[in-house]
Amino acid sequence: MNETFDKLLIRIIFTLIICFSLFLYKYAHVIFYPSHKKQLLKKIYPSENYIDTLHIFSRLIGVAIIFSTLEFNEYIGVSISLFHFLVWSSIGFSLYLLSIYICESIIFYNFDYKDEVLKKKNPAYGVVSFANAICLAIIIKTIFKEAENSLVILLILWLFSMVAYGFGTKLFKFISKLSFNSLMIQKNLGLGFAYSGFLFGITIILISCFAHEHLEITSYLIQILLKILLAIIIIPLFTSGIKYIFQIDEIGEPSSKKTELLHLGLGIYTGAAFLTASFLTAIIVGQIHFGTIYPFF
Amino acid sequence: MNKFIIYFILLLIYLTLSKSLSPSDLSLSYVNNEKALDDVVIGEPVTAILTDIHSTGFIIKTYYLKLKVVYALKSYEEVIVRTSRSFKEKYEPFIGMAIFRRASDEEIANYTPLPPGTVFIGDTDLGRWILHPSGEKVWRFFRVYRQLPIYLGWGEFLPTYSFYSKANIYQGQDKAFFGLNEEFGPRGKVTQKQFPNYFERKKEQSIDFKKFFTNYFQNNFIQTGP
Repeated sequence: MNETFDKLLIRIIFTLIICFSLFLYKYAHVIFYPSHKKQLLKKIYPSENYIDTLHIFSRLIGVAIIFSTLEFNEYIGVSISLFHFLVWSSIGFSLYLLSIYICESIIFYNFDYKDEVLKKKNPAYGVVSFANAICLAIIIKTIFKEAENSLVILLILWLFSMVAYGFGTKLFKFISKLSFNSLMIQKNLGLGFAYSGFLFGITIILISCFAHEHLEITSYLIQILLKILLAIIIIPLFTSGIKYIFQIDEIGEPSSKKTELLHLGLGIYTGAAFLTASFLTAIIVGQIHFGTIYPFF
Repeated sequence: MNKFIIYFILLLIYLTLSKSLSPSDLSLSYVNNEKALDDVVIGEPVTAILTDIHSTGFIIKTYYLKLKVVYALKSYEEVIVRTSRSFKEKYEPFIGMAIFRRASDEEIANYTPLPPGTVFIGDTDLGRWILHPSGEKVWRFFRVYRQLPIYLGWGEFLPTYSFYSKANIYQGQDKAFFGLNEEFGPRGKVTQKQFPNYFERKKEQSIDFKKFFTNYFQNNFIQTGP
C-alpha cells in the first residue's frame, strides 16, 4: 500500500512540475514575442476574442504535444531523471518557440499579430496560426523521438525539418487557386481551412519521411530527402485521382453564389483533398517496406 | 504542359539520386567481366565458386552473383557482386563451378569454369596423392587443410588423378569441365546437393489456398498468445 501511495504521490508531484513548466513557458513566450507581453500576462477572456484564444491555446496544445514525448524514469534516480526532464523540456520549449517564430515570419510575412488578431479579429489568421503551431509541435515531437537524446542530431534534424517545412509552406500556390494574401486580408475562412489542410498535409508527409531506421546521420538525411522527393512525385497522383474519381469541378457552375461562399467551399475542398492525399502519400512513402536481397540470396 | 515537364524532371532527379545514393549499390562491387574479379578476390592460392544468381527489378533488372571465395590458408567468405546481364547469362550454366582461381605464386588468374578446388589439387604444399583401395590415386589434403573439401562443397566426392589430369587439359584449352561424370554444374548431383538455394528457387511452388487461409486466420485472429 505504501509503495502504491508513493507512486501516486510522485505522479501528483510531476503533474505540479509540468504545471510549473507551463508557467515558465508563459514567460519564455514573452521573450520570443515581446509584442504579446501585455496580452499574455494579463487575464484571458475567451468570450471577448475567440481568435486570440485560439492563438494562445494552439501554442499550449503544442507544448503539451512536445511534453508527451518526454519520459520520467524514476528507476535511474529521481534527481537525475528530474534534471533530464527539465533540460529536455527547456530544449523542447526553446526549439518550439524558435520554430514558431521562424515559420510565422515566413507564412505571415505581410501580416502582424496585433493587427490581425487583436484589432481585426481575423479568423483566417487564427486558423492558419493554430494549424501552424500544432504542425510544428508534431514535427518537433517526431525529431525528439528520432534524435534519441542526442543534442547534435536533434539540432541537425531540427534545421533540416525547418528548411523542409519552410520550403513546403511556399508551395501552397501550386496546389490551390486561392490567393493567400488577398483572401487573408478579406478574413476568408476558406483560406484558413485550405492552408490548414495544406500545413497538416505537409506535416504528415514530413513525419512519415523521418520514420525510418537511422544508423548514420548522413545516409539518414539522404533517405529523408529522397522520401520528400518521392512524396512530391506521388501527391499529385493522389490529388488528381481524388478529383477524377469524385468528379470534382473546383469552380462549379456560374451562378449568383457569393464569392465568399465560393471561396469557403473551395478552401474546404482544397484542405481536405490535400490532407487525404497526404495521408495516402505517407503510406506510399513510409509504409511500403522492401526487403533487401540478403534474406533470400 | 509545363507541369508535365517539371514532373518528368522530378522523376528523373528522384531516379538518379536513388540509384546513385542507394546503400546496396554503394557497398557492392560491380563485375561485368572476368578481369573485374581480380579486384574482388584477393590473395593466393584462392578460388571463387559461383553458388547463386539472383535478379531484382521488374522492368529494369539488376543482377547479382553470389561467390564463395575459398582460400587455402584461411576460412572462406561469401561475396555478393552486381553484374551485367551478359555476364550473368554467360555464367548461368556454370552454377556450382569455380569461375576464378589464382594458384600459389601466380599473379595471373584463370577464369575457365572448372569443378571447385582444382587449383588446390596437385599443390604439394597442401596435400598429396594416396592410393585408394579401388586402385586409383586420389588427392588428400594434409590434416591442417582438412576443412577445404567441406568449404569447396565436395561432399562424398574424391578427386582422382585422372580427374586432375583432365581438368588440367580443359583448363589449357580454356573449355569448361564439369567432372568425369558431370558431378558439377547445374546438372551435377554434387552441386545440387551442396549449393541447393539456386535450385530450390527454380522449382515451381504450388499454393495450397486452404492451408494458407487456415494459417492466416489462426495466426492473426484466433491465436491469443505468442
